[in-house]
This record gives sequence, structure tokens and C-alpha cells, in this order.
Amino acid sequence: MRILFVMKHRGNAGSTHAVANYMRIAPKYGHSVSIYGNPISYVPELQFSMDIRSFDRVVYVYESELYRIKRMQDAVLLDRFARRHRLIVDTDGMYNPLIHIDGYDFNHRNEQERAQWIDYIEALGDTIVQTTLEPPPNPKAGCLEFFGYNPTLELDPASVPPKVYDVLHVGHNWWRWREVSTELLPAIEQIREQIGRIGFVGLWWDAPPPEGSAAGPEEAFQSDPDELRRLRIETPRAVMYHDVIRTMSSARINIFTQRPVLRHLRLLTLKYFEIFCADTIPLLMLDHEHAEAIYGRAGRELVLTGNVAGKIVDALHRPDYYLEVVGTVRRHLASHYSYNRRVEELIAAVGN
Amino acid sequence: MKVLLVTWVDPWTRNVATIHKWVEAGRTLGHEVVIFGPPNADLPKLTFTTDLANVDIALLVAQLQPDFPDMPYLARFLDGIPRERRMVLDMWARYDETVRVEHDFNHLEKFDGHLGWEWHDAFRAVSSTVLQPTLAPRRPDVQSFLFHGFDAGSVAAPYTSAREAAAAWMQKAYGLMYAGSNWQRWDQVRSVLQAHAPLCAKLGPACLIGWDWRTRPEWAVKNGIMGIDTDPDLLARLQVEVRDGVRFDAIVDLLGQARFAPVLHRPLFRHLGFVTNRTFESFYADTIPVLMLPRDFVSSIYGAAALRLVPGDDLAAHLIEVMRAPEPYWEAVIQTRAHLAEHHSYARRFEQLGKLAAVHSARGAVR
Repeated sequence: MRILFVMKHRGNAGSTHAVANYMRIAPKYGHSVSIYGNPISYVPELQFSMDIRSFDRVVYVYESELYRIKRMQDAVLLDRFARRHRLIVDTDGMYNPLIHIDGYDFNHRNEQERAQWIDYIEALGDTIVQTTLEPPPNPKAGCLEFFGYNPTLELDPASVPPKVYDVLHVGHNWWRWREVSTELLPAIEQIREQIGRIGFVGLWWDAPPPEGSAAGPEEAFQSDPDELRRLRIETPRAVMYHDVIRTMSSARINIFTQRPVLRHLRLLTLKYFEIFCADTIPLLMLDHEHAEAIYGRAGRELVLTGNVAGKIVDALHRPDYYLEVVGTVRRHLASHYSYNRRVEELIAAVGN
Repeated sequence: MKVLLVTWVDPWTRNVATIHKWVEAGRTLGHEVVIFGPPNADLPKLTFTTDLANVDIALLVAQLQPDFPDMPYLARFLDGIPRERRMVLDMWARYDETVRVEHDFNHLEKFDGHLGWEWHDAFRAVSSTVLQPTLAPRRPDVQSFLFHGFDAGSVAAPYTSAREAAAAWMQKAYGLMYAGSNWQRWDQVRSVLQAHAPLCAKLGPACLIGWDWRTRPEWAVKNGIMGIDTDPDLLARLQVEVRDGVRFDAIVDLLGQARFAPVLHRPLFRHLGFVTNRTFESFYADTIPVLMLPRDFVSSIYGAAALRLVPGDDLAAHLIEVMRAPEPYWEAVIQTRAHLAEHHSYARRFEQLGKLAAVHSARGAVR
């Protein structure tokens, strides 16, 4: 089966890396995967195509915005793929009731925006899934874990460059500031003298996007660069998806955070898995139960929530212990979240 | 029958006048004609709908990319109307191989960012039946359907006597008026205005109505689109009154304020024999159309009497001759109106569309 993904493809964000894994694994099972569009020179390994008629199924991946292609090209897609052959993957929990988290993060600003989104999606297809283990609040949505773990990407400690950071956070400043400013930074301040270099790698830690409100709600990019500087937190530039794991491996510890609405909905993202491919100790800003559900029992040991400062210091002092825990989690992920499984699930979801 | 027109309707341009005629004629003839999409307060006489129930024929009237509905309407249209009830009317020869005539093209990559194959694929996605508003489509897989028509009831002053028409015609504020936006027609417009200028005192002033005649538009300069030309100094020297574009429903009355109304087709349409709304609408106005069109096209669309309205090589001489003896020319106008009413009525168009749809439907949902 030839599967065409229609999605916003960005080298430094989004679901591109997951789809790259589908591209790699699908041929083992007699399938192929491409992204709709023209090839991008800086990611030559990604397979693109605009030959719509050579595909059998289409998968639309939507994050928080409705990625649109030109309507004449859309017409060809809609004609080629019957509704039953269109799968819509909602990675950001948009196909749900209106959700506002503590007056901060939200899936839709208001009911009107939500209605427009739902209208669009339901016009497009009948099979809509969210990237979660649990049934979504919207009973019309299904579950598809979608993101997976690729053990071949695990970095051999012998081959990685020396650690230059003690603590890294790799991710864009997109609805993360509240958690970072109220939980992470106060904890870091307590133990700042016990930690070496700290880095927040990603976009918008220093400043909001230059395109202003067109990029999204202003509060999503809220930050305090002075506070970051005061705590001697560096803000290196974002890296391409294929450099994420290597970048994470330049730190002893990597901190995992997730924007509140996604955390609330327990939506999986690529970062859940990427961070365990890196040669580092992932520490997780997750609920214990959720961490266990994803990572197995060992995952609880890596949870930061409620004891951020103590856990960071402990991990820096007892790396061997934590790396053993990481090893246990990796084995769990390899057995439960491989892209071999993901490909089978995807094929089942798009319909045989 | 219930006809769904799928297109971007703009009160200022393109097919809006014809679409109104389809709606009015449909009402008279017992058909329902609706436009796909949300209501448009600027066009209260049109019924917009997203209800696709009981649609017999869905006609995508395509000129520009926005004539394809945006999502989610596009999915509703393509999923909601079976393929055997959908047809495409290709108003700008997008479906053809690339054609260039002077600076005019059918594939305007610089303008809309779409290559020729994209139009082809998009049309085929909608339907296997593609129609064009010409009597002689170039491609064997395209059928003729003029779409635009003539509504005899819309003639502003329906004289039956040429003498009466000519007498009234002498009292006009303008000598010549052209209404149409600046799109690949400057050379023709300039020739007309230059021929008219020496006669201005005798005929009355010239008026040019439409967008982008005052200066070459910035978008054309920026995108390097040739053919959207004008010459403000020349227009000033020729004392041409230049007005911005007007709504579709003001055109006929405006043209009726002038003695002459040239009918010009952009080079591409002239080359392909395409008709436009103005091909027919000019004969509603209380004016003498000047048919700046090939003679074989004129006789095949307007009938033999209309050949008298073709000026030949010497437009000034033609205008002088009409001024000297208007009655034969008004007789030609009246006969041409009768010809149009008989051969190009909207009742005819409904019949033609019904037959095309029946053939299309009988072929099934072929791709």
C-alpha cells in the first residue's frame, strides 16, 4: 500500500521525524510512505511526492493549525481518495470539546473557532484519530499512538561527543512558559550552584516569533529572557529533527515538558520517544501514572514532578543508577512502541 | 432541474451578470439555479446554498483558482455530488495546452502560481466532461457550451423601428464608452480611442470604465506581467474620461449613455473564439455596438446582419458613416437582437446544458 501524508513538514518541529520513521520501516512490510510536496534540499532523506494518483491512501496530519494546500491540488486529493481511505491524525487534541487549562493554554480560543475546525475536519473525512493511549473526550475520535520508538536511533555512548551541558531542555517555547517559570526555574535557582551549563534549545525562548500574532496566540510565546540570563540558562538555536537526539546527548540530563493541553489530554508526541534514544538521563514533567502507562514501571523513577530540584541533583550524583533505569525504559519502549507496530496500526487505520 | 453553479461570484467582475441571468431565466422556465457557498449580502438576488440535496447538475464555472471552493466546501462538493452529475466549464481555456497570443496566456503562472498541468488535473478531479464557451473547442475531449446568453427582456430600450431608435440615439452624453477592466486589451482600446479622438466634437466624448486604466497596476509591475498596459498621458491628451470599475448591474445603463460601445475580446479569447458576458450584454444597452471581432466569429454568433456592425480597418470612417446614416445600423442592431434572442436565449442554454448533462451522466463516473 502506498500512503501519502499531507502535513506541514518542518525540519525543526512537528511530526516530520515520526513520518521519517514510517518511511524507513514501511517497505519492510511491502508499503511505502511519502509526504505530499516537493523535495526539500536540507532533508534529502525525506521522500516527497506530488504524484497523487500513484497512492492508495492519504493521511492528513494536523497540529494546532489547519495546514492547507492549494485548493486545486486538494481537489485532486479528494477525488483520488474516497472518504473511507482518508485518515485524519489530530496530534494536538483539536477534535475535542473546548478545553482551557487554568486560564492559560487551550485547544481552541472559543466555541466559534472550535466549530470551524470541527466543520473542516468532518468535511474532510470520517476517520479521525488522536495520538493517545486513552479514549479521547470526543467519542467520535479514535486512538492511534502514531509516534513510536526507534531503537536504532539510540546513540552509543562511545560515539557521542563529550557532555557540555548538565541540563538541557530541547523544545520550542510554545505554551511552556508557565510550567517552566513556576516549577522548573525556581527549582533550578535553588540548585544553580550545583549544576554546570544549562541550555534551553529551541525557538522563542529569547523572543516571540517575528511574524507576531500570525504565529499564534501571544501568550503561547510568553518568556522572560532576563530571568533566563540571570539563571545563566543558555538558549542555543533550534536544531533540525535529525540533530535532536545528538543534541540531547550533549547533556547529562534532559528535561521533558509538554504543553498543558496536550498533557491534560495525555497526547503522545515524538519527544516522548526521542528523548530515550539520546545518551542522556531523561527527567519527565509528567504525572507518575501517565509516565508508568507509557514507559512502564521504571518510568516513575524518572518523574520530576513534585521534586524537581532534588531529582536533578540526584540524577547528576547517581548517573549509573538512572542510566540503568533508562535502559529498562528503553527495553519497554522497544517492545511496546516500535515503528514496526506503528506501521501495522497505521495500515489497519487507513483501511485495507 | 436543479442546477448548482460552483464558482466565485464577484459583483464587480467576470460572470456575475450571466449568473444572474441563469437564476432569473431558471425561475421563469421552472428550474432552480443556486450558487454553492455561504450567503453573499452584496448579491441579494442570488440564492447561495450549501445544501446539496437533489442537485441534478453541478457546474464548476472556472476562471481563477478561487472558483474552486475552499475547504470545507470543496470536500462537501466533491463528496456530496456524484461525479456523474458534475461538469466543468472552462472559461479561460485552462484545460488547453499553453497558448500565448501577444502577451495573453491561458496559464498565468506568474499571476496565480499554477502550471497548466495543475488545471488539467484539477478539472479531471471534478469531472470527465469539460466544456468551453466557444463554438469550436480545440481539444477533442472538450465540448462546446457558450454559457453566456441573451435575454431579450433585458434590452434597455427594445425598439422595433430603426428610425425611432436612431432618432433617440442622437441625444447621448458620450460618443463612445468602453466598460471592461485592463486585462490584455490596451492595444485594442488605444486604437479605438485614437480613432475616436478626432471625431470627439462631432460624436461626443469618450469614456473608459474599468479597473487599472489610470496606471499600470503595481501587481502587474511586481510580477512582471506584460500586457496590462495603459498610457495616462495619451488618455489625457485624447480627453478620455476614465472611471473605476462599476458593479455588474450598472453596466447596461452606462453603455446606454454613449452612441457607440465597442465590443473587444482579449487576444486569447479572440484567438480561441470564446464568448464572454459582454459579447451578449452589449446588445442590451441602448447603444450601437462596434464589433471589433473577427467577421467569421461575428456571423457565427450574431448572425449575418451583425456584419454591418464590424468596422473593418477604418474605424473612424465607420463611426462617421454611422453618424451620417444611423438607421441601417440600428436595423442591424435590431436584427441582431432578434437573432440572439432566437439562437442564444437562456431557454436554449438550459436545453443545451440538460443535453450535455444527460450524455455525461449516461457515461457514468468515468475518470
